Amino acid sequence: MELLKYIGRRLIQIVIIFFVILTVLFLLFRLAPGDPVSRMVDPDMTPEDAELLISQLGLDQPLGVQYVYYLKNFFTGNFGNSFNYGEPVIKIIWDRLPNTILLFTTAIILSALVGIFLGKIASWHKGEKTDTVMTIGALVTHTVFLPWLGLILIWVFAYKLGWFPITGMLSEDIWMDPDVGLLTKYLDVFHHMVLPLATLFLIHFGSYLLIMRSSMLDTLKEDYILTAKAKGLKEKVIRNHHAAPNAALPVVTSVGLSLAFSINGGALTETVFTWPGIGRELVMSVSQNDYPLAQASFLLIAIVVLLSNLVVDILYAYLDPRIRY
Amino acid sequence: MEKPNKKRLNRFPWVARFLGGWAIYRQNLLGKIGLGLLVIFGLMALCSFIPPLIDPMYQPMIGVDPEISYSTGPCIRHWLGTDFMGRDILSQLLAGARVAFMVGISAAFMSIVFGTAIGMIAGYMGRFIDTLLMRFADMIMVMPTLLVVLIMAALFGQLNIWTIVLIIALFRWPGVSRVIRAQTLSLKQRPFIEAAKVAGASHARIIFRHIMPNVLPLAFLYMTFRVTSAIIIEAALAFLGFGDPSTVSWGMMLQWVWKTGHMFNAPYWLLPPGICISLITLSFYMLGRAMDEVLDPRLRNEEQAG
Repeated sequence: MELLKYIGRRLIQIVIIFFVILTVLFLLFRLAPGDPVSRMVDPDMTPEDAELLISQLGLDQPLGVQYVYYLKNFFTGNFGNSFNYGEPVIKIIWDRLPNTILLFTTAIILSALVGIFLGKIASWHKGEKTDTVMTIGALVTHTVFLPWLGLILIWVFAYKLGWFPITGMLSEDIWMDPDVGLLTKYLDVFHHMVLPLATLFLIHFGSYLLIMRSSMLDTLKEDYILTAKAKGLKEKVIRNHHAAPNAALPVVTSVGLSLAFSINGGALTETVFTWPGIGRELVMSVSQNDYPLAQASFLLIAIVVLLSNLVVDILYAYLDPRIRY
Repeated sequence: MEKPNKKRLNRFPWVARFLGGWAIYRQNLLGKIGLGLLVIFGLMALCSFIPPLIDPMYQPMIGVDPEISYSTGPCIRHWLGTDFMGRDILSQLLAGARVAFMVGISAAFMSIVFGTAIGMIAGYMGRFIDTLLMRFADMIMVMPTLLVVLIMAALFGQLNIWTIVLIIALFRWPGVSRVIRAQTLSLKQRPFIEAAKVAGASHARIIFRHIMPNVLPLAFLYMTFRVTSAIIIEAALAFLGFGDPSTVSWGMMLQWVWKTGHMFNAPYWLLPPGICISLITLSFYMLGRAMDEVLDPRLRNEEQAG
């Protein structure tokens, strides 16, 4: 029950934060130098269509009224048409969102699990060669420049060795062919996903490993570990059942705190691998001055960040019963 | 020999503290590697002034080899080869080191100034101001800085390098301010703050004369980590094509090699900038971790307890 109350309180906070972001974005788009009308209305439109759109968006009204229109449009999912695609922005966004979520959540969960696992081993072998190799390896992979890592992986594994496709998310000939089974299609997506996933994974697991390692070292100094040792429990049991679950909590926190960083990385990965996700759409729409699409992608990313923060908080409250906010 | 030295140290307590810290720092292998790498990058930044003096074709941005108008591999004239229009890659790489330091250090410095000021005020004032500032910090913390700068670039057009630095600083202070606030909260309970209050010191005086000196070491520790993130964000922005077109940064070099389609046939061009960005972030990161140990005696004991 308390957990539900906590979730409810966090949800209210998130809604408030989101409203602030929504408002700031509105003000930025209206008050930035240049003509706000040109940012909302496709330059290729006929004058009649442009008139209609201007009255729909309320661009000929005072700022306060425009804001009401803006909120109404937001909640009815009306973001206008993309200048570049000529399609409703909402349709493009819904189309890209699952791709981003697929790549991003797989990468984060995988790297957190591997980071926890390896960090546990590193702390257990503290001061030995295993620990040194793992720590240095984690430092190096964590600080390598992400787009460059992506380019190198493409160069080696897709171009030189030819193991993986260079770009995209699916092969058209497989997906257009009616005779191909669903499993083959999924395997095809997975085949495309290996390199972007590897990039995101390599960048992230290192920091989780380091956090797990130091948190594990702290935990091993606790009295209950000494008790467990004194009881004559096996080292493996102590490590895996007594120390690790508690030591893993800071990793969960860190996943939440580093989400903004991860989202940046996600957008870069999508761009380098031409993975059709929201991040790449944002980058492209900004470079093509496709304002409606840029604005909507940004808002959607903000929602994704806020909701994933909520998920991490709930997970944390669930994992650590001591914490009742 | 011993005595005058000690006397001098007593007059400057921070020198003694610095030397003590340095003695601990020197024992840290990662810290030494990081510092060594940074010295090399510093030398690179200094050397960046030399090539254009030798020959105008070594100007990183506008110098073009009159005999080469395409990308060539390393040779005597161009140790690391040339880019797609015959510009020298080595001189671009050296200039990139200068830009990386400039961006990293100035953005980090600004963000710790904001972060420290806000953290101290929030911690010291408490109540409503504290809640307000910390909620604000929470909000900024969840924003992906790179994408925020992208949106700004969409609205305001081409951003120059100082605007980019400023935006990075404006979005990277919350982490610092949280730590400083926590430190301030514990400092506030100490007797010397009470004493200062009783003596009639103003809020501003207490914050800047009594609290600030005690939180500054922590702030500078965070500065090294902020340098890392600032360099990465600038590089990523330049890589995506939204950097300042009048500066040659490593991210910009990677963008050129990527966008001109040379990434599969010009390793001499693809590898150096990426390695440099990765190594400079690595070395600042290692520096930060080593300084962490110097400033946090708890970690030091842990190492010794082994």
